[in-house]
Amino acid sequence: MKYELVSGFETHVELATATKIFCGCTTAFGGEPNTHCCPVCTGQPGALPVLNKKAVEFAIRAGLATHCEINTVTHLDRKNYCYPDLPKAYQISQFDKPLCEHGYVELESGKKIRILRIHIEEDAGKLVHERGFTLIDYNRGGVPLIEIVSEPDISSPEEAREYVEKLQLIMRYIGVSDCKMQEGSMRCDVNISLRPEGSEKLGTRTEIKNMNSIAHIEKAMRYEYGRQAEILSGGGKVEQATMRFDETTGETSVMRTKEDAQDYRYFPEPDILTVNIPQSEVDRIKNSLPELPLEKLRRYIDVLHLNAQNARLIYKYKAACDWFEEAVAAGASPKNTLNLIVGTVFSRLDTEEDKEKFDVGISGAQAAELIKLLDGGKINATLAQMTLAKMLETGDGVEKFISAEDMRGMDDGELTRLCKEAIAANPQAVADYKAGKEKAIFALYGYLKRATQGKADVQKATEIIKSLI
Amino acid sequence: MAITEKEIKTLARLARLDFDDERCREFSGEFGEIIAFADRINAQVGGATSDIREVGGREIAYGDLRDDEVKESLLNEKVLSNVQSEGGFFPVRRVVK
Amino acid sequence: MKSVISSLSRLLSSREISSAELTDKYISAIESRNPELNAYVHTTFEEAKKNSAAADKMLKEGGASPLCGIPMTLKDNIATDGLPTTCCSKILQGFKPYYDATVWRKLKACGAVLLGKTNMDEFAMGSTSETSVYGAPSNPRNLQRVTGGSSGGGAAAVCANLAAYALGSDTGGSIRQPAAFCGVVGFKPTYGAVSRYGLIAYGSSLDQIGPITNSVTDAAVVYDAIRGEDEKDMTSCPTEKGKTILTPDVKGLKIGLADEFFDGLDTEIKSAVENAVKKYEKAGAQVMRISIPALKLALPVYYIIACAEASSNLGRYDGIRYGYRAQSYSSVDDMVVKTRTQGFGKEVQKRIMLGTYVLSSGYFDAYYKKACIIRESLRAQLKSAFGTCDVLIAPTAPNTAFVKGYTGGNAIEMYLSDVCTVPVNIGGLPAISLPCGKDKNGLPIGMQIIGDVFEDGKVLSAAYFAEEEKLCELEEVQGGVSL
Repeated sequence: MKYELVSGFETHVELATATKIFCGCTTAFGGEPNTHCCPVCTGQPGALPVLNKKAVEFAIRAGLATHCEINTVTHLDRKNYCYPDLPKAYQISQFDKPLCEHGYVELESGKKIRILRIHIEEDAGKLVHERGFTLIDYNRGGVPLIEIVSEPDISSPEEAREYVEKLQLIMRYIGVSDCKMQEGSMRCDVNISLRPEGSEKLGTRTEIKNMNSIAHIEKAMRYEYGRQAEILSGGGKVEQATMRFDETTGETSVMRTKEDAQDYRYFPEPDILTVNIPQSEVDRIKNSLPELPLEKLRRYIDVLHLNAQNARLIYKYKAACDWFEEAVAAGASPKNTLNLIVGTVFSRLDTEEDKEKFDVGISGAQAAELIKLLDGGKINATLAQMTLAKMLETGDGVEKFISAEDMRGMDDGELTRLCKEAIAANPQAVADYKAGKEKAIFALYGYLKRATQGKADVQKATEIIKSLI
Repeated sequence: MAITEKEIKTLARLARLDFDDERCREFSGEFGEIIAFADRINAQVGGATSDIREVGGREIAYGDLRDDEVKESLLNEKVLSNVQSEGGFFPVRRVVK
Repeated sequence: MKSVISSLSRLLSSREISSAELTDKYISAIESRNPELNAYVHTTFEEAKKNSAAADKMLKEGGASPLCGIPMTLKDNIATDGLPTTCCSKILQGFKPYYDATVWRKLKACGAVLLGKTNMDEFAMGSTSETSVYGAPSNPRNLQRVTGGSSGGGAAAVCANLAAYALGSDTGGSIRQPAAFCGVVGFKPTYGAVSRYGLIAYGSSLDQIGPITNSVTDAAVVYDAIRGEDEKDMTSCPTEKGKTILTPDVKGLKIGLADEFFDGLDTEIKSAVENAVKKYEKAGAQVMRISIPALKLALPVYYIIACAEASSNLGRYDGIRYGYRAQSYSSVDDMVVKTRTQGFGKEVQKRIMLGTYVLSSGYFDAYYKKACIIRESLRAQLKSAFGTCDVLIAPTAPNTAFVKGYTGGNAIEMYLSDVCTVPVNIGGLPAISLPCGKDKNGLPIGMQIIGDVFEDGKVLSAAYFAEEEKLCELEEVQGGVSL
């Protein structure tokens, strides 16, 4: 029998507020242990929580960006459980009135992964086990989180990857979180069950806790699918359980079963008043949302008619898109702008983080002055690339590097002379080309580019070289 | 409503208290009386329950919530002033005989 | 009733006595009388000397608060920076918070002098102060009797003149009932009128800090010094501007007497309260008999909500960050269970278990949720009562001070003694207890005046009438500081 995978995600996202959710301590990552702490976030007797407005605002932003309805009258609840990293022995969270409900995240295929709810809560501290001690650091305790709970709409590891990537993108776009899985600012609990293909009935599910990389999520899902399929096809029953994923073996194992399930004894948090959010505030937040990533991608491809592959490379980085759009607004053609970003600008940005920041030294409008020359055929693509590289290097405008003379390009006689030189200087390449190695001709381009400082028109040069050989 | 010793053990586990068999037996009678007392509300008010209204019955306007401005945290020594700290951490030795 | 604070304030501001001298008097009185009364569980004489030196400076500069230089005490569940705060529980043994409760921060700024921390039922759970890990305090009016609870130490200290005033906390009557048992004044302000920041929580939606004093005038002065919105407590709210003006005029005051408070009440107490009400009537107040049926369910509602919140509030005592830790254990989990089992007393464990029960899945709807619904209907009924009445008058307790060691016939008999006080906490109302007579054993009987939310001034003024009329003058307890 073939089984269909049914999966839902609970995703924790740390909000990028300056202060913790219930006190004025910083949320900065790292720091010496227990130095971002006060009576409130270490659960001292008598201390009381005071709710951070920004955390509520960011959660509403996240909700609106995932098409949720906002509960404008909302309260917090206590979730009672005991663990040394939880200093009050309860987590302040939301139970029956989450801030956001009933939204969705759309995949590129058009499939919608429904969002059941998004609520705010506080993060726990961190435990270190060493030298016979359990050591506790409460710096992270009280950092605001949202928990995004999806419906079980995900039906493959690939969809899971896309869902997580899309969520990450949305949260970064709207500026509520950096969603760095390696630093723990985004973590997923993955629910998985199987059902015979075609069946409507949900099977018994297991939950894999605390996944902190997309690759691991895919691996764990594949493993868990295999494990459950084997049980089911052997006529067995999957036991409801909480699992952990072992990164070294790539296997899942049971952490606890239903028998020792927690009873969280939720009840309304008496120390925090019910929050009443005026609709006008929700509207204000809604109006401040940027164009969302998938809308942007679709516009780039369908409206701006950009190359889909290149559009996909850029739309992940909000700052890059902003730069792109600034250049286009200043009159540059979308196609050339995008090509230059992907070809020239990105090659200078090594890490994802650099691309994320897109701190490139010149503005999109400055770049537009150059790109417009390219658009108008005043300079060729190679010169545009080289000039852009210099502009990025120095932060100077295009007028510093390109003169009126440059813009005239090069006359045919001069170009022919240089092509001859190039052929003479690269006998091996010429031989290879003649032997059928088309790519050998690139060696000649390299020579021309150096000799003309990029001014040579490659297309014209190709014709000349081919005629000469 | 009578309460079984098994239920008392479950509650004790949730409350992180140790109730051995003897203590359970001792406690069940007394606890039964307290539950019966709490049950008076059920004798008086039957039927379905609606939503829980907010605890204080009061609301705070979104605009009156705390602004996101960092305040200085406390010195590590102060935070740890009620324990024998270990490298800036709250330490618990895992086993003590 | 004698207004100790205003008398002392006059002496201090006229420089007839310095705060340092006054503080020394209180210290000697405590040293001689406390062994017998056990009102104080931690004395903070070093702090008191520092405070009084600061106060003397403030007095010299002039314009000081009426509380400047006056020695006082805090209940052992109010956090004081660097000073023991243990809720009279083994589990908080040795605990010294590193921050001040807002009330103490405010009083310190006024120049208050802290003599020590006073005895109470462990985590404020009890009606006699006998669940204190330090042993029960004795009632200064009769040493064989309890002080009441849970703020018993504070009431005893004020009654015996071992402090000019005390701050207590009131979750279900813990200020008013000991005040009644000791024959002093206890005022529980409107929920939210005084910041709870630094008050170690029992039932968070019910807890409120308030003064225990020798007079209504004193209560108003202390109340004015501690009230107001606090950015550290979201449930606190702004209170009236300016100081509370007490007016003894009760002409036209509409006093409600709810039948439910008087049904089956001990006749001595009933007649003491009714006699007091007659005085009000004579002075022009209008008395009306009313019924508030939901009062009958207030007691179980109170125990369900308070214990539910307590079971959660007390989860944090795990031996990791402060207080007692079990001596030997086999794992961190085992340490936590042993610490809690050894560190909490029997009554506290009982209430944690009840609270856990009413919140656990399967029972939540039948107990906690239903209790919340009844709380709503009680609030609605109280609201409509205050639509016709200005204040309610009721007994503070259905009995006078118990003999020490009395535990009642069954598990809940002691809970029943809170029947008159808990409705006030459920409603979040202001209420004051003041003496209105004595029983056949010479023990004080307390009467409560209850107002609508944020009508604290009206409650204090109505009580001020009794003070001005000398409704009930009890003899002064000897051995303390006398003026």
